[in-house]
Amino acid sequence: MDRLATVVIGFYGTTLDRGRGAARWERWRPTVALCQHPDRIIDRLELIHPPREAAGAAQVAADIAQISPETTVRLHPLALADPWDFEQVFAALHDFARAYAFDLDAERYLVHITTGTHVAQICWFLLAESRHLPAALIQTSPPRHGDRDVAGQVQIIDLDLSRYDALARRFEAEHAESLAFLKDGVDTRDPAFNRLIAELERVALRSREPILLQGPTGAGKSRLARRIHALKAQRRQVRGELIEVNCATIRGDAAASTLFGHVRGAYTGATHARAGLLRAADGGLLFLDEIGELGLEEQAMLLTAIEQRRFLPVGADAPVESEFQLIAGSNRDLAAAVRAGRFREDLLARIDLWTFHLPGLAERRADIEPNLDVELRRAGERVGRHVTLNREARDRFLAFATSPAAPWPAGFRELNAAILRMATLAPGGRIDVATVDAELARLRRSWRDPEDDGLATLLGPAADDLDPFDRVQLAHVVAVCRRQPSLSAAGRVLFAVSRTRRTAPNDADRLRKYLQRFGLSFDALRPDPPR
Amino acid sequence: MSNEVEMLRIDGAQGEGGGQVLRSSLALAGLTGRPVELSRIRAGRQKSGLLRQHLTAVRAAAEVTGATVEGAELRSAWLRFTPGPIRGGTYHLAVGTAGSATLVCQTVLPLLLAADGPSTLVFEGGTHNPAAPPYDFLEAVYFPLLRRMGAQVEARMERAGFYPAGGGRFVLEVAPGRPGPVPPLARAGAPVFEAWAMSAGLAVTVAKRELAVVRDALGISREAATIRRVEAPGRGNVVHIRVTDGDAVELVTAFGAVGRPAEVVAAEAVEEALRFVDLGAPVGEHLADMLVLLVGLYGGAFETGVWSLHASTNLAIVQAFLGADAVQAEERGGRWYVARP
Repeated sequence: MDRLATVVIGFYGTTLDRGRGAARWERWRPTVALCQHPDRIIDRLELIHPPREAAGAAQVAADIAQISPETTVRLHPLALADPWDFEQVFAALHDFARAYAFDLDAERYLVHITTGTHVAQICWFLLAESRHLPAALIQTSPPRHGDRDVAGQVQIIDLDLSRYDALARRFEAEHAESLAFLKDGVDTRDPAFNRLIAELERVALRSREPILLQGPTGAGKSRLARRIHALKAQRRQVRGELIEVNCATIRGDAAASTLFGHVRGAYTGATHARAGLLRAADGGLLFLDEIGELGLEEQAMLLTAIEQRRFLPVGADAPVESEFQLIAGSNRDLAAAVRAGRFREDLLARIDLWTFHLPGLAERRADIEPNLDVELRRAGERVGRHVTLNREARDRFLAFATSPAAPWPAGFRELNAAILRMATLAPGGRIDVATVDAELARLRRSWRDPEDDGLATLLGPAADDLDPFDRVQLAHVVAVCRRQPSLSAAGRVLFAVSRTRRTAPNDADRLRKYLQRFGLSFDALRPDPPR
Repeated sequence: MSNEVEMLRIDGAQGEGGGQVLRSSLALAGLTGRPVELSRIRAGRQKSGLLRQHLTAVRAAAEVTGATVEGAELRSAWLRFTPGPIRGGTYHLAVGTAGSATLVCQTVLPLLLAADGPSTLVFEGGTHNPAAPPYDFLEAVYFPLLRRMGAQVEARMERAGFYPAGGGRFVLEVAPGRPGPVPPLARAGAPVFEAWAMSAGLAVTVAKRELAVVRDALGISREAATIRRVEAPGRGNVVHIRVTDGDAVELVTAFGAVGRPAEVVAAEAVEEALRFVDLGAPVGEHLADMLVLLVGLYGGAFETGVWSLHASTNLAIVQAFLGADAVQAEERGGRWYVARP
C-alpha cells in the first residue's frame, strides 16, 4: 500500500555539478536538477564523490536540501586512482553495491548515469544488467533551449527487458520463430519432440560447446544441424560456414588428412597442402555425422582440436588454429562403443555435454501428417508444379504411414522420398488413391528386402554393433523362431544335432539364454507380438 | 466530529481545474470540519494529478488540522481529506523549488485564524515566483486588508527566494479570532504610486535602470522609488509598484529574467499599474479571487473589474462548502459585484 521510496545512487559530477556563485542556479546541474522535477520526488540521494571534492559535493547536498526538502542526501567519499580504469572502477562500484543494504520491499533504486566518467557509466550498466545492483538507470539531460524550466528531462531505463510488454512480445515472437526455424517449418505435434526442440533452441543460442545428436538413421540429424547453423547465422552468432562430413565415408588413411589437413609432402602423393575440414569450419559449425565411425587416432586429434582450438595438420610442425562449434551425430550407442574399446571415453565425455536423442519417425507418428504437408509443398517445388492430395488418398496414405505396419527404417528420409515419388507420378498434379496404393506397395516391397535381415528393425542401433559372425547366426535364429510355434519347437530345430548327444536335452533353455544375450525373447519375435 | 458529516465530493477538473481547486477545498474543509473527496485532480493538465507543490499544500493543511489523508501520492488524481480540529502552534513548512511558499501560506492562514491558540509559521522556499502571488503582494495588500477586518497577522520576510534557487524564508505570527466582514472599499480617483525594485546577486545598475523607467512613466519622486537589496541564495530581480487609491490597494509585479532588458521589465510593471488605475474598480484581479473566499467565510462585499477563471472557480468551491447563499457574484456594466446576500 505504501509508496516505495525512490533512492538515487550516482556520482558527483566534478564538472557538471560544480558551482559556488549565485549564478550556479541558472546553470543545469544534473544531480541538483534531478531533485527539481515537479512530478518526481527523490527521497534519498546517495552521492559518491572523490574525497578531494568533498566541498563541492557538500555544496550540492546543501543546494538539494534547499530546493528539495523531501530529499535526504548521503555523501560517500570514494577514492579512485584512475576513474577511467575499467577494472578499478568496476571493482569499486561492485564493492559499493555489495556493501549497500538494499531494501527492495520499501525502496526502489535508480542509478544516475549522467554524471561520472563513461567508464563509470559502463560499470553502472553492467552492474544493473547483472542485477548486482537492483536498480534501473536514470539519465538526465538539460532543458531545451528557451525552456524556462531548469530541471530538464529525465529518462528511466529499466534493463529488465521483461518489464516492457512490447519487448516481451517481440522476444516471444522471436522465440516462436526460432523454434519454427529449427523444425524447418513443420508444425510438429509430438510433445516429446517439441520439448527437445525447445531445449535445443536454448542450447544452440546460448552455448558454443559441442552438441551431440543421437538417433536412428533418418531421424533428421543432418537437417537439424543445418537448421542450427542457419539459426545461429541469423542471430549473427556464427560468421563461418557449416562443414558437414559423414565420418563413415572418410575411414582409413585419408581420414586424418581430410579432417585436419596436411602440408605439402606430408606423405607420398601429397603434392599440395590441404587445409582440412576443421580449418574450413573456423568461425562456424562442424557437423561430424556418424562420429562413432571415426578412427581412434582421429578421435584423439579431434579431442585436442576441440579443447585447445588448435591442432597439427598431418606432417606439420606448427599447429593451426580453428574455432568452431562441433555438432556430432551418431546412430549408435556411443557408450557401448566406449565399452567395446572403439570410442574414446574422454572424447565422449567432452561431446556428451548437450546430448539430444532424436526419436525416429516410427516413434513420432503424430508428426507424419504435418511433415506430409510441408514435404508435399517442397516436392511440388522440386517437380515444378503445384501438387495436391485428395482427401481419400490422404487418408489412405496416413492410415498406413502411421500404423505399426510401416516401420520406416530409414526415417524421414524415406518418408520424404515416398512423397517426392508420389508428387512426380501424380497425374495432373493430383495424387489420387491409385498413386498412393502404388507407392504403398512399393514401400512394402522395399521393407521385405532380401538383403535386410530384419535385425535393424528388431534391435535398433544396437544391430550395428554386431560382428558379421554373430549377425548371420542371430538372423537365422530369429527366422527359425518366427516359423516355429513355441520356444521348445524352435530349440529342437536349432539344436537338432547336439541334442541327440545329450542325456537331458534342454534346447528351450539354451535358446532362451542365447536370445537374452541380445535382449530378445521368443515372444518378442512372433510376427504379431502379444501386447 | 467529521465522521458524522457527509463527505463532500469536488470535481478537481472544474473551472481553472488546477491547484486552486485543491487549495481552496483544503482550507474550506478544515474550516467547516467537513471531509472532502477530490476526483479528476488537474485532469486536463499536461502533467495531471498531484505534483510536489500540491502534496506540500496537502501535508501543510493536514498538519494544521490533524487530518487523515488518502491518495496523497505523486500524480494521484484522487484525494480524500478528513480534517480534525485546527490546532495553533509552531509550524515549519518547507517548500521545494517547484512550489511557492505564498500559496501554502494562503491555504493555512484562514485555518489558523480559527485555531485554538496562536501560531508561528516559518515558511521556506520560493517567495517570488511568477506563477504565484509574490510575498510583497501578501505584505502590501492581503495582510493589511485582513488586519482591517480585525485579524491579528504579523509577517516578516527574512530571505527572498527567487526561482529556481528558492531558499527564501518568511515568518508569520497569527493570533486566532474570527475576522469581521470584508469592509467596503472605494476608490478616491487619486492614485498614489510607490515602486521598489528588488534584486539579489545582480549589479545595482539593473534596479536603477528599472526605477528610472518607472519614475518617468508614472511621474513619481525618487523617495517613492527605492532599491531594495535582499538576501537570497540565487540571483533574482523584480519590480513592484503599489497603487493606493482611497481604500483600494493593488500591487503589481514584473519579473526580471536572463536576457530581458531592465527597461522591458519596468515597462511591464508600469503597464499593469496603469491598467488597474484605468479599470476603476477597487479590487484587482488577484485580490478578487482571495476575497471570494473571505466574503464567503466572513461576509461583506467587494467590486472588481476583472473576473478571472480563478475567481469564478473559487466562487463555485465556496458555494459547494458553504451553500449558494454564502456568496454570490453578479455582473453590472462590466463590473463584478461579489457579496453575501
